[in-house]
Amino acid sequence: MLMFKIAFRNIFRQKRRTIFTALTIFGGFVLAAFSIGWADGSYTFIINMFTRNRLGHIQIHYKDYLNQPSIYKTISNYEEVAEKLDDMDHIESWTPRLFAAGLLSLHDQSTGAQLTGIQPEKENQATRFRQKIIKGELFEKADHKTVLGKGLARVLQANVGDSVVFISQAADGSMANDIYEVCGILESGDSMSDRMAFYLHLQDAQDLMVLYGQIHEIAVIVDELGRVDMMTDRLRDAFTNEDLTVEPWQEFAKSFYHAMKADMEGMWIMLIVIMLIVAVGVLNTVLMSVLERTREYGLLKAMGTKPVQIFKLVLYQVNILTFFSCLLGIALSIILNYWLSKDGITLPNAFTYGGMEFKHMYTTVNLRSILLPLITVFFTAVIVGIFPAIRAAKNDPAQSMRTH
Amino acid sequence: MSDTMTVIKTENVKKIYSDNGLPVKAVNGIDLTINEKEFTAIVGPSGSGKTTFLNVISGLDKATEGKVWLNGKLISEMSGKELSDFRRDNIGFIFQAYNLIPVLTVEENIEYIMLLQNVPKEERHQRVMDILEDVGLKGFEDRKPPRLSGGQQQRVAIARAMVSKPVLILADEPTANLDSETGAELLDMMRELNQKHSMTFLFSTHDQMIMDRATRLVILKDGQVDEDRVKS
Ligand SMILES: Nc1ncnc2c1ncn2[C@@H]1O[C@H](COP(=O)(O)OP(=O)(O)O)[C@@H](O)[C@H]1O
Ligand SMILES: [Mg+2]
Repeated sequence: MLMFKIAFRNIFRQKRRTIFTALTIFGGFVLAAFSIGWADGSYTFIINMFTRNRLGHIQIHYKDYLNQPSIYKTISNYEEVAEKLDDMDHIESWTPRLFAAGLLSLHDQSTGAQLTGIQPEKENQATRFRQKIIKGELFEKADHKTVLGKGLARVLQANVGDSVVFISQAADGSMANDIYEVCGILESGDSMSDRMAFYLHLQDAQDLMVLYGQIHEIAVIVDELGRVDMMTDRLRDAFTNEDLTVEPWQEFAKSFYHAMKADMEGMWIMLIVIMLIVAVGVLNTVLMSVLERTREYGLLKAMGTKPVQIFKLVLYQVNILTFFSCLLGIALSIILNYWLSKDGITLPNAFTYGGMEFKHMYTTVNLRSILLPLITVFFTAVIVGIFPAIRAAKNDPAQSMRTH
Repeated sequence: MSDTMTVIKTENVKKIYSDNGLPVKAVNGIDLTINEKEFTAIVGPSGSGKTTFLNVISGLDKATEGKVWLNGKLISEMSGKELSDFRRDNIGFIFQAYNLIPVLTVEENIEYIMLLQNVPKEERHQRVMDILEDVGLKGFEDRKPPRLSGGQQQRVAIARAMVSKPVLILADEPTANLDSETGAELLDMMRELNQKHSMTFLFSTHDQMIMDRATRLVILKDGQVDEDRVKS
């Protein structure tokens, strides 16, 4: 307690130096907290944009459909699965889909197309489907209407009101073909998939492909990105004995996931840079104060103060300064990260990632963005403080109290 | 042993420093006995070995050779840890300057050793107040050292050295940083306390006016006792 008192008061002795050091620690802290908040915010934002746009956080398929898609690998009891999903917490929405490939024609133009059968309301809830329609509107019921991807519409020179013909092979081996009226054009942000996108009402699609009551995929949206892993486990438990495969986005969007992970590695470099800033700032100050106060430490020792106590005294000074600098750092970091998580930052140059364009980025306020800098800064300060503290503890009063 | 208690006894104490490989005999074989209640000055020109000798007596420095007893204990054989506690409990230090911790108040400076000794709070406070009265600094307990004059700072140092009732007060040129009038006043006060509390004082000086106030003079020359004179 006595050492703590002296340490505390010592901090206010060299005001300018203390402020300089505090600013170094504070600056390092805020920089780290902001960078982590920014990185986490951006990744969450990008991952959410990516998954919520079409893929979903978790997908459910029949067996190995994902690796070897086949029109026959269907979820046939999907009403039961749906009921279970509706009963679960943390599931924001889910949407069923049916897929098939075929040929789409208008007048004398034909091109390959990817049929996706959807339930308009569910699909809209899960992937904000309506917002992606740039022309016309979404079909509401199964009345032979279709929404085309922008690229596909351009290839066929199709417009809202035109009738297109889709040809494929149905599940029973028969020829599947029918005429559908274009009711909307869609732009998803992923131009590759828009070149093939041919959306029908799920029921129309099931009729066409002779897959009554069956689907190929359920895309699930979880209420928070951080719960995806937990929910994946839960869904796996729930559907173990039904030949269903449950996969999170990290698995069905592997290359995207690995790109994200590689980007996040960059954060460690940043933390090391911050450690260096803090280390230099703290070492300089503490060493200077220890050298200046040689006589004081000598006096304390002459009076019977133990080396350990002097060691503590110096480390207390480092810790008190670090503590208050971090406290201020935490306050500013939370304010900054919170503010930019609401308002976002408009990027000078929009960039594309995973086929999507980003113009705004958002930070996030999370425990990590406070805890990681806190540990880094304290760890650095204490490590760096040990050397001067040992020096002070080893003080030889017979020498330091000499006046010549 | 006679009825007067021996506080310090040294036997052929030597301290040899090495200055770039050359031996410097700072203290070169001193035999000295200091008894209870004495008010002794160690005198000698600069470089004669005063500081070194006092440091060896207090155990701040280790003798190269010879033996030192303090209050009957052979301190020249003690380990550093033992010595640190022994010093705290038996010796009060007054240095030429930088005696006080500038961030602590007068009271906090004086009670420092008692805090290390775990003396209860009330007793600490009472003893600080009593000793402040003795050194004529009543009412200064909440001041910080930078706001005291040089003479006042040395008086606080005396109070700090005496408050835990050590067997010996060691003062290395306590007046060297003061003007001669303040120095003389300080010495008179030390002498008064020496008599009032029956405390043993051993101090060094090279100032004639200060030596005149000592009751015994030990004159050093080149690390040896040149003359040992007891005054009436
Ligand atoms: N650490 C040291 N290394 C080498 N020589 C020293 C050291 N400390 C003191 N001395 C020498 O020892 C001698 C006695 O010094 P000191 O005890 O300080 O004398 P005084 O206090 O009487 O002036 C001087 O010659 C001084 O230069
Ligand atoms: Mg000296």
